[in-house]
Amino acid sequence: MLVVPPRSADCRPSVAPISHHLLRPLLLRLGEEVSLRLGGGGASSFPSELAASSSSSSSVMNQALLQLTQRLLLARSQSQLQVESKNEEEEGKEKRSDESPISLDLTFHLLREVLEMARAEQIAQQADSNRKIMDDFGK
Amino acid sequence: MPATPCAQLLLCLMSVSARLGLGRYVEDNEASDGLYSLLSLEQKRGSEDLLFRRPLRCLDMLATDGYFTFVASRPQLACAAFIIAEPSEVISLELSDVSIDCSAGDFIKMFDGWVLKGEKFPSSQDHQLPVHQRYTDYCSSTGPGAKSRSSQNVAMVFFRIQSPDSGFTLLVKKLHNPFPCNVMSQSPEGSFTMVIPHQRRNCSFSIIYPVELRLTELSLGQAKSNELSPQRQVWSGCSGSGDYVELLGGNGVDTSKMFPVADLCFSLSGLAQMKIGCDNSVVRLVSSGNYINRVSFQYRLLEHNELPRSRENSLDNFCTVE
Repeated sequence: MLVVPPRSADCRPSVAPISHHLLRPLLLRLGEEVSLRLGGGGASSFPSELAASSSSSSSVMNQALLQLTQRLLLARSQSQLQVESKNEEEEGKEKRSDESPISLDLTFHLLREVLEMARAEQIAQQADSNRKIMDDFGK
Repeated sequence: MPATPCAQLLLCLMSVSARLGLGRYVEDNEASDGLYSLLSLEQKRGSEDLLFRRPLRCLDMLATDGYFTFVASRPQLACAAFIIAEPSEVISLELSDVSIDCSAGDFIKMFDGWVLKGEKFPSSQDHQLPVHQRYTDYCSSTGPGAKSRSSQNVAMVFFRIQSPDSGFTLLVKKLHNPFPCNVMSQSPEGSFTMVIPHQRRNCSFSIIYPVELRLTELSLGQAKSNELSPQRQVWSGCSGSGDYVELLGGNGVDTSKMFPVADLCFSLSGLAQMKIGCDNSVVRLVSSGNYINRVSFQYRLLEHNELPRSRENSLDNFCTVE
């Protein structure tokens, strides 16, 4: 597994209201990991992997992580967005059909985090659905 | 004989944990139906109420069926929702209540697969459609431009909505797929059997974790007729054969850009195992179409201290394998 130290020039203070001392370094690293690329190029992508930190599995923390990620994503995208007119895109569409017009520069670490959150949600929803069905049986 | 307090407590705990779904999650291809299959037809008609609903986030991962509604509270210029299903399912997506301004640059695009850091899964080599057919653009489509069905258990929706209070609703449904080809595993542990029956195609099973892989069964070259064909005993250089399994490791999702770490082109019924210390570990079955090919394997997450150590002469950006 590749371990890359964060670039110190890009360190930014955490914007989350969470003051837990364990969360702060993890949130800073998350801020470094995610960037968005639009229009097939131009924006930089950050070094993707950092050592996996032992993150807590609490849903509160995961929710806070997701909210911070969204705020950072939006801030990044607004600063790096290339404005393209839709007409130009359509004219070149057939020729550029092999290019992905949009790509999310999400690290595997963050992808795994949101995947695990989604699975937890699925398990909880399945249990809830089973309970409703069992209630229906009882009627 | 009266039940002891301990037995009563144990029974109570078991029933509570079952209701809360806290039992160990076992990967089971049939589990997705569950109790739903026991409902009568009348009860199933009323099952619309059972469909899950929640707001969709700008960055989201969806693993359940349901309605997901996105409303822009402020201009959202680059959003993406990843959708993942069980290995033997495909994903049906449907847009409704769409209120976006296509002429102003808003868009909603559904993609048949995942795109991550410019790389696509499944790769262009492993997917049956050309890239431009894997996108369904709501703004460009006429008529049924609001529906899409994936070819494998992953799909994505990219969207940009600039006007506050604009948005859309996404309906996610999963459909059974009897012969899955190209699977993204939801979990770092599990087992799977991939079958390619007389099809000329390549199928990849991708695990976005470093894992120890164990091939438990590999059956290649079951002939169409009763003729026996000699089995090749070559360990390496299988790419000359029409049918083989390769294990890949890499740091992206595109299997065509990953490094082959092993390949097998003879049938085995024993244990072959490998530790792949990469962000993405893939079992890829290459099939000529002449045979029914089958590979079974198990995988488990490699803990940090189990990761293979990097060799000093290893290539940059190449993850470690053992």
